Amino acid sequence: MRHSVNRPPTPDVRDDQEKEPTLQEIINIKLIESGEKERLMELLRERLVECGWKDEMKSLCRAFVKKKGRNNVTVDDLVHVVTPKGRASIPDSVKAELLQRIRTFLVSTTL
Amino acid sequence: MSASNEDNMSSHSQLSTLFFNDLLDSIIVDVASECHRIARLGLDRNLDDEEEELRLSAQARARVADPSNSGEATSKYVVDIFGQTHPPVANEIFECMNCGRAIMAGRFAPHLEKCMGKGRKARKTTRSSTAAQNRYSRGSPVSTHSPYANSTSMNRLSNGSPSVAGDEYSNGTLEEP
Repeated sequence: MRHSVNRPPTPDVRDDQEKEPTLQEIINIKLIESGEKERLMELLRERLVECGWKDEMKSLCRAFVKKKGRNNVTVDDLVHVVTPKGRASIPDSVKAELLQRIRTFLVSTTL
Repeated sequence: MSASNEDNMSSHSQLSTLFFNDLLDSIIVDVASECHRIARLGLDRNLDDEEEELRLSAQARARVADPSNSGEATSKYVVDIFGQTHPPVANEIFECMNCGRAIMAGRFAPHLEKCMGKGRKARKTTRSSTAAQNRYSRGSPVSTHSPYANSTSMNRLSNGSPSVAGDEYSNGTLEEP
């Protein structure tokens, strides 16, 4: 699978996953290049801070660090602590808003 | 076009979800990295609060149990838990109920020895009965020895003093008749 950022020579969109970049990859590239991905990330970050999600995750991490000892913690540990709870505790409104924006972008680029 | 539109919709939904999860993962890594930094740099002061408290309470306990600090007579400027300092000798002045003189609290017991004990042995009976009647107006049993004289070394009023009548008293009050 090619991870290159270079555009393929033809703008045709294909579902062929062997040599041609996948639809997902292409759209990903478009997201990044247009700056929309950055904007979406900032929007999501802001919403998650507002609704207290970030504070919840931080307190999870703090509890884990307290249990394991300050100097024995790795970033990987914390990622594994946060990911399951983090994915599950996203408020529906936040998720809906982001999905809506992504879908709008998809529609505008693939048409 | 209409048929492919529906396909587009579902694949759009799928793709949207994929991208959303991608964004979320990035943010999770950011949060984890930030917490990791705070943990390793020790920037989170609340983390060790419990341990701090345990250590401080152990220190305080050691200080209280330390014999050199507990005696009021030994050190001059002992501070108790309310932050008050007490002089080594109690210096409150009040009137002796026996002879009517102004006595310093810390010197009361030796004064009483002289005042009621060795000094006036001849008038012991009369003196103590009048004193007892004056002090305990609630009809206390008049005994040859007033309760105070029995305990010669008395720095504090104690409940279980060896009085003849065996009355229990605290703060100079007696039981109701």
